[in-house]
Amino acid sequence: MLSTLELKRTPFHERTSRLSVTQNWRRWAGHIVLGSYELSLEHEYWAIRDGAALIDVSPLMKYMIEGPDAARLLHKVTTRDILKMPVGQVYYTGWCDDEGKLLDDGTVARMDEQRFRMTSAEPSLRWLAMNAVGLDVKVTEVTDRMAALSLQGPKSRAVLNRCCAEPLDKLKYFRLTNTSIGNIPVSVSRTGYTGDLGFEIWMDAEQALPVWDRLMAAGGDYGITPCGILAMDMARVEAGLFMLDVDYTAATHAWIDGQKSSPLEMGLDWAVNLDKKGYFVGRRALEREKREGSAWKLMGLEIAWEGLERLYADVGLPPQIPAMAVRGSLPVMHEGKQVGYASTSTWSPVLKKYIALAHLQRPHYEPGTSLTMEVTVEHHRRQAPAKVVKLPFYEPAWKKK
Amino acid sequence: MANHDVIVIGAGLNGLVAANYLAKAGKRALVLERRAIPGGQAVTESVGGGFQVNALHAGGQLRPDIVSDLELERHGLPTSVSEPLVSILPDGRQLRLAADSDEQTLASIGTLSKRDAEQWPAFVAFMNEAAAFLDAAYRTPMPRLPNVSLKEGWPLAQLALKLRRLGPKDMFRVIRAMPMSALELTEEWFESDALRAAVGAVAIHGATLGPMSAGSGYTLMHNWLNRGGPGHRRVEGGVGRIADALVAALKSRGGEVRLSADVKTVLVENQSVLGVRLKSGEEIAATTVVSAADPRHSLIGLVGAVELPPEFVWATQSIKMRGAVAKVHLLTDGNHGLPKGTLVIAPSIRYAERAYDAAKYGEMSKEPYLEITTAGSVVSLHVQFAPYALRQGNWEQLRPVLERTAVDIAARAFPQLKSSIRQTKSLTPLDLERTYGLTEGDLNHGQLILDQMFFMRPIPGWSNHKTPIDGYYLCGSGIHGGGGISGAAGRNAASAILKAK
Repeated sequence: MLSTLELKRTPFHERTSRLSVTQNWRRWAGHIVLGSYELSLEHEYWAIRDGAALIDVSPLMKYMIEGPDAARLLHKVTTRDILKMPVGQVYYTGWCDDEGKLLDDGTVARMDEQRFRMTSAEPSLRWLAMNAVGLDVKVTEVTDRMAALSLQGPKSRAVLNRCCAEPLDKLKYFRLTNTSIGNIPVSVSRTGYTGDLGFEIWMDAEQALPVWDRLMAAGGDYGITPCGILAMDMARVEAGLFMLDVDYTAATHAWIDGQKSSPLEMGLDWAVNLDKKGYFVGRRALEREKREGSAWKLMGLEIAWEGLERLYADVGLPPQIPAMAVRGSLPVMHEGKQVGYASTSTWSPVLKKYIALAHLQRPHYEPGTSLTMEVTVEHHRRQAPAKVVKLPFYEPAWKKK
Repeated sequence: MANHDVIVIGAGLNGLVAANYLAKAGKRALVLERRAIPGGQAVTESVGGGFQVNALHAGGQLRPDIVSDLELERHGLPTSVSEPLVSILPDGRQLRLAADSDEQTLASIGTLSKRDAEQWPAFVAFMNEAAAFLDAAYRTPMPRLPNVSLKEGWPLAQLALKLRRLGPKDMFRVIRAMPMSALELTEEWFESDALRAAVGAVAIHGATLGPMSAGSGYTLMHNWLNRGGPGHRRVEGGVGRIADALVAALKSRGGEVRLSADVKTVLVENQSVLGVRLKSGEEIAATTVVSAADPRHSLIGLVGAVELPPEFVWATQSIKMRGAVAKVHLLTDGNHGLPKGTLVIAPSIRYAERAYDAAKYGEMSKEPYLEITTAGSVVSLHVQFAPYALRQGNWEQLRPVLERTAVDIAARAFPQLKSSIRQTKSLTPLDLERTYGLTEGDLNHGQLILDQMFFMRPIPGWSNHKTPIDGYYLCGSGIHGGGGISGAAGRNAASAILKAK
């Protein structure tokens, strides 16, 4: 029964597998997707920042939430004010256990007065069902039924305008519209995981391939590039976007309390609507944390180039930086005492900086604070000077325009 | 605004006891009762047909400290007398069991086994010690495991000390007996199956358990404590008079009882209680609301799951109710031929266990365990097992079967009974839910089973009468101290509320 052990393929597998030189497959939520198509990430990364990158994001967990109490369910589960959410809006949100610690994060899209689509990183059916007790609502998982593509980069709109039934010039940041690509009904949201201009296209899995083909054909003139998740990983760090299991541990997976993070600690203050009406899961704990201040904060860390250069110069080398995002914990110190850790670090090609997402303890998370981060120089652990900065690191003018 | 400091939902004994303690401490307490009569399960009323019966419980008593704390004797608390338990055996013999090991009891047991008769006084002494331990446990606030604070640990340490004072041997025997079955427990004392069955019947009374079920050792101790022995305590004038005394006492303390005031919703904002809304639409504000209803109805029903944390909702939904008790009340011409006392039809362990087996599979027992009490010409049959959740059919269809089966079994022992019957009125588990507000017909508001006792009652982590809603407390039978007529849960809740203020 080998087949039951196999990882799933996405609806785009027939296309993506043939385009990949590397066959660099990565696991994502029980599926395999390409980490990269080419031997170096450069081309795919710069497609995100300078052109149009087409990324298969089908493994995202997807749920339809429908019924008279659909809004009430999501209002209870998430930290956003869903009761006031307009139709056609998409919210990014985290959701918590009742101790106010993050379980997962994702997006909620209001398709209709009584119909929502939710994405998550982890299976969420049980949690949604537990919260739906007493509510008139139906929750359906559509992960396998629905394919998703992310088209990211400054040229993404021009590409979509070429193949969508209606132009998307008026589609605002974090809004959603229903349209079609080559007669295939799709919904398009102006969302993504790169911090650039970008869109996510949602369609029936059965009709995934023609949509891919139309986009690739229409994007030819704009240098559309199939892009793997490793280049996206670099872009998302620049955008200050964190990832479950890498930058935080779901409260349900944590072995000890210290491994848990609240949305306020993760810098999601703007997405925690404590002024919203009624109970939501974790409300009490988050109110308390807001009042008393967070013990930790996820912040940006910019490693000073000169300092790094000096550490490498000491051993007679120029600075060496991994060519992709590093998902490994690196100690962050203040005057020789550890005050936090970086959870993801990467070279930022667009900023020409070595950056990291770092969990920092109070009071060391104030922007401008000087700290140091561990780097391994020729097998020796050294401390490179770094500065605390606000997230995101990179936000082009066209992201929200 | 509010003329009341505290609203108590439900004028059952626990609700009235809690209201009295709160009123005694100077709180203005308002008790809202959905029915037109106070007493909850401890009511004496007509269940149709115009004759008065002890509808659900043939007897009962409040804990002595409650009686004295609330000066209930001054307010007309009726006297009660302990009755022997009389097990009717197939050959017509009657096994008589009294807690005071009188000569009649010893002689009666002696006809079955001389050795058992010699054992009986020691068994009674052991049961009384076990009951004393439970009584102490039921007045000890349980810690909210797994995070026990020092403050919570202290009363528990005192309980441990109390247990220790039983002497090491007895302490061990009491703890050991709790998870045992009633059969295993009685096997260690007695050789007579009929005697084991009679004691086993006390263990399973009101519970959805058989004498072979694990944990029926605990329910035996629990029922022994509340009854003060194997038989009921018969209340002069009916069990309903206990509630009358509590109402009178409450009024004298400035409290109020409103009957036919059906609370539909507990009003909540941001996890704090605001008051209640009645079925009539009337809203009454209060910063403290105490519910004597069962925990599932109090929380999922009255507050609503949407206002509560999901794990809490899950745990509350998972409380095992599973009622399996029905009542058949008979008005006779007086020539029923039954003696006085708490009569039991559970002649053998096998008989009682087989009766329970049916309940496991969602069927009514073909040969149920009966407890029969009389009050003049009225004969009341307590019938087990009649499961709330039927595998086939519904309780309206099964009502005639219930009535016929119960009367047939009783008439086997007392042939005169049948011809003396003038009226038959029954209460099915569905009636218990609809008329008396007992979810799934469970008299105990949550089965008295090992995973629902002490610090796990009503649910783990919430054994301190509190709820996730600030100002909303629980005081009914489903809370630690509760189950059975005793008032302990109401007393404990009041002291928790007064301490929290």
